[in-house]
Amino acid sequence: MTSTRPSLMQDVDTPGPRPGPSPAATVVTPPPPPPTPTSSISPTPIPPTSSSPPPPPAPVATQQPQPSPHQQLPAAPPTPMGPPGLMEDEQRTVASVSGTVVAGAVVRAATPERLIQMCVESFTEKGLDKNQEEFVTVFFLMHQWFMTSEELAQAFIDLYPCCDETITCTMVACQHLPINRDCAIQTFKEMICQAVRYWIDKFPLHLDMDSKVTTAIRRLSSLLQAEGNYRLKELVDVSKVPSYDWMRNMSVRNTTCGKHVRKVSLVFNHLEPKELAAQLTYLEYKAFRRVHFSDYKNYAVTASLKDQPKLERSIALFNGLSQWVQCMVLSKTTPQQRADVICKFIDVSKHLRVLQNFNTLMAIVGGLSHSALARLSKTIACLPPESQKTLMDLTDLLSSNNNFSNYRKVYHQCTGFKIPILGVHLKDLISLHTALPDRVDGNLLNFRKMAQLAIILRELTRLQGQDNLPVDANMDLVNTLRLSLDLYHTEDEIYELSLAREPRGSLSSVSILPTTPTKPVVFADWLSGISPPDSDTINKHVHDMVEAVFKNYDHDKDGFISHEEFDSIAGNFPFIDSFCVLDADKDGMISKREMKTYFIRANSHALRNSFKHAFHETTYFKPTFCIHCTGLLWGLIKQGWKCKDCGINAHKHCKDLVVMECRSKGSKRTESMSNGVGPHDLTITAKRKISQRHQKRSSPSHTCQQSTQTEGVVLRRSSSLKVMNSSNNHNHHSHTHRDCTIMDGEYYEEQALLYERLLKAEEAREKLIEENSCLRSKLDLANDQISLLKSHIGNIRQNTIAFILEQMDALHMQRDTEV
Amino acid sequence: MKEYKVVVLGSGGVGKSALTVKFVSGTFMEKYDPTIEDFYRKEIEVDSAPSVLEILDTAGTEQFASMRDLYIKNGQGFVIVYSITSIQTFQDIKTMRDQIQRVKGVERIPMILVGNKSDLDSQREVSSSEGASLAQHWGCPFLETSAKSTNNVNEVFIEIVREMNSTPLRDNKGCCIIL
Repeated sequence: MTSTRPSLMQDVDTPGPRPGPSPAATVVTPPPPPPTPTSSISPTPIPPTSSSPPPPPAPVATQQPQPSPHQQLPAAPPTPMGPPGLMEDEQRTVASVSGTVVAGAVVRAATPERLIQMCVESFTEKGLDKNQEEFVTVFFLMHQWFMTSEELAQAFIDLYPCCDETITCTMVACQHLPINRDCAIQTFKEMICQAVRYWIDKFPLHLDMDSKVTTAIRRLSSLLQAEGNYRLKELVDVSKVPSYDWMRNMSVRNTTCGKHVRKVSLVFNHLEPKELAAQLTYLEYKAFRRVHFSDYKNYAVTASLKDQPKLERSIALFNGLSQWVQCMVLSKTTPQQRADVICKFIDVSKHLRVLQNFNTLMAIVGGLSHSALARLSKTIACLPPESQKTLMDLTDLLSSNNNFSNYRKVYHQCTGFKIPILGVHLKDLISLHTALPDRVDGNLLNFRKMAQLAIILRELTRLQGQDNLPVDANMDLVNTLRLSLDLYHTEDEIYELSLAREPRGSLSSVSILPTTPTKPVVFADWLSGISPPDSDTINKHVHDMVEAVFKNYDHDKDGFISHEEFDSIAGNFPFIDSFCVLDADKDGMISKREMKTYFIRANSHALRNSFKHAFHETTYFKPTFCIHCTGLLWGLIKQGWKCKDCGINAHKHCKDLVVMECRSKGSKRTESMSNGVGPHDLTITAKRKISQRHQKRSSPSHTCQQSTQTEGVVLRRSSSLKVMNSSNNHNHHSHTHRDCTIMDGEYYEEQALLYERLLKAEEAREKLIEENSCLRSKLDLANDQISLLKSHIGNIRQNTIAFILEQMDALHMQRDTEV
Repeated sequence: MKEYKVVVLGSGGVGKSALTVKFVSGTFMEKYDPTIEDFYRKEIEVDSAPSVLEILDTAGTEQFASMRDLYIKNGQGFVIVYSITSIQTFQDIKTMRDQIQRVKGVERIPMILVGNKSDLDSQREVSSSEGASLAQHWGCPFLETSAKSTNNVNEVFIEIVREMNSTPLRDNKGCCIIL
């Protein structure tokens, strides 16, 4: 910081434009302006257009206030991207007291044409005049605020052919050909090319992001080619612009990260805070560096995130992280467990501070101090004092007090890799934009505003270009984490959960609130600007996460992971259904496909919509089971609570813990058939019951009579669905089916197809049951025959023995008589 | 001299910044740096008592959910702004009081409801009476302002100081544990 500051302050410390005789007179029309009086404090030359009416629209240098310096500078100046755009406070104060304008603002206001002209004049045939570096940097950086890059490129081109008329060459008998090196016209042409070269070199992003700019510059190149000006053509070569794919495309993978060999735990409980902090920093940086200049600009101007997916994604990550922190804490049942999770996140925060990742730090500290957690007094009582102290220190660091002065101070002291709190700098941008008008003095562009905005934007752009990310990404872990952060809850849901964990008035003093505990505070929809990630993103994230999980946990590579392994992974995703829902085919193992289908469903339905059920106390006349704990609802009357809307049943103590979405809301098509019982609930309940039934069933003939209420519904439902299906177009069905096999992942299937599959499975099951009972009756029949035959055998045997005995008796008698 | 921390809340684009900037700077000024420490500080005299206001403008951070909680935690008085030209912004702020109560843990909150952009009367979507009745429901003062024509801007901040004087928000009472 200290080393770079002088270059930033160049305009303040040194006299800006060099006075004295200059060859500028050869370029522009005389008379040369009097040298601007400059001082060490106020170096700014009085701009020509500040109080005069707008200059002629044509980019003609009718009035040249800037002594156009053509000093023999050794070479092109060093990079201007280095200096951070912000100054130390005391210098700032000095600057404002002395009335100095911001660095780089050598003009107060001008027309864009004039600015372009000035920009070109800041160059010599050798390159950039160092004294003009600030101005040129600000100009190129900020031009997108008032014109597109394509327009700028075109303006440079337009300037080129009209040199002949606007520039007077003083040389005698000059042909103005490329070989006439001293010709003023040639010099000016070279200056244009130098300016373009500088633009290409220092802001390659502008060109890479917009192919129209490249096309425009190629036009200039062919113009030079036609003129035979090969030397200048070299200057505007755009073929070496590096690619910024990562910025254009939201999902380009960083390929260098695939080389890791270490296996890490993907499970939150086993994850080291340091590791977690590192991976979160990686995620954060990836999202942050994609935010483009135009995103900042549009956000500052429109105060809306509409059509700025990259900025929105970055903010969604921030909010997702805060919510994940809250959910991870609230998913634990005892205060001590919750306190342990909080401690872990405090440790993560400490590491984030070390990594100088302030944005993620803000997200986590924000999540930890959110009202949904801050009210958990029992939990906080379990926190060790040193953790509380750390959290207080961090909160203090990020406090908005005195215009975030603590954060700003620490931030400026940090060197090396850092990620700023995006919100704070966005706020500064908006504040500046609000306070300063874009146009002043008639219709002149307010260049001082540009210079001030540039201070912030330059810093942000610089940080986005950092390539010294101090962490190694573990893509498996990143993928797992990323999906955890996609889960979307409303503030209300989280707060309700908090109330369920530690009800009001239990130990806290917050009970003075007049709001009744059951009346939910509907949260502001102004957050609705941030939409949860779209389904494509989710699908992709799910896919990546599942692959990561299998890579690390499927040790024997058979495509399945076990129950226990899944449970530990599921710990990263608070509030999702348990294993038995997931293991659709009840084989005790989870396949990739089951896992993907499951997470996509969980994301697209269970978590996005409402969790709230309209529970009311119900008396059941048939044995019924709790949806949450799968236990029987005990008692004679009022055994449990039933949701009016979706029909799920739960224990009184379980009903607040039910994490299943109330699914009948919005899915009207099944309502009429199943009395408002949603299809999903049936799926799940049915599966549970089926498994229970399989265990229970020893005598097959009793099945139908013994079936529970739910089971009855299942059968009813499957038959009604059969009706529905048969009324549907069969061709269509088979068609969609084929479609889905063509798509490479089954998990892209629509929900409807999942129903269909379920339905088919149920049909098959019914058939099997029928077949089974049929076989059993055959078996019985056979058994009867066997016993009949056995008895026959017995009879036969008895008869035979009796006959033999008789015969023997007869023989004995015969012998006796003979004797 | 008494110091007051005031938080300006409201949806994006209602003119929170304009209101704040107008107040702290008086006029739109040439040299303007929103990053310096005491930029949002201003002394005013309310009922012949000099006071220092530190204003927290939340513009630009409306979408950062967890930052809002931190802001509210820090604030003592709240200026809740909507735009009279957008019914949506009026709907958005309707739950603000509940939210502040939730964070603060007390019922009585010094706040003021402000309908900004009163200079754009021809595009009005929220009538003065709607604003007034919400303010009555909340039990707080109500003003329509125009940051553009500097109408009622100072009055907003004078009024919020009065509110804070009459019902001082006891810090850390309610959320008695700092976390």
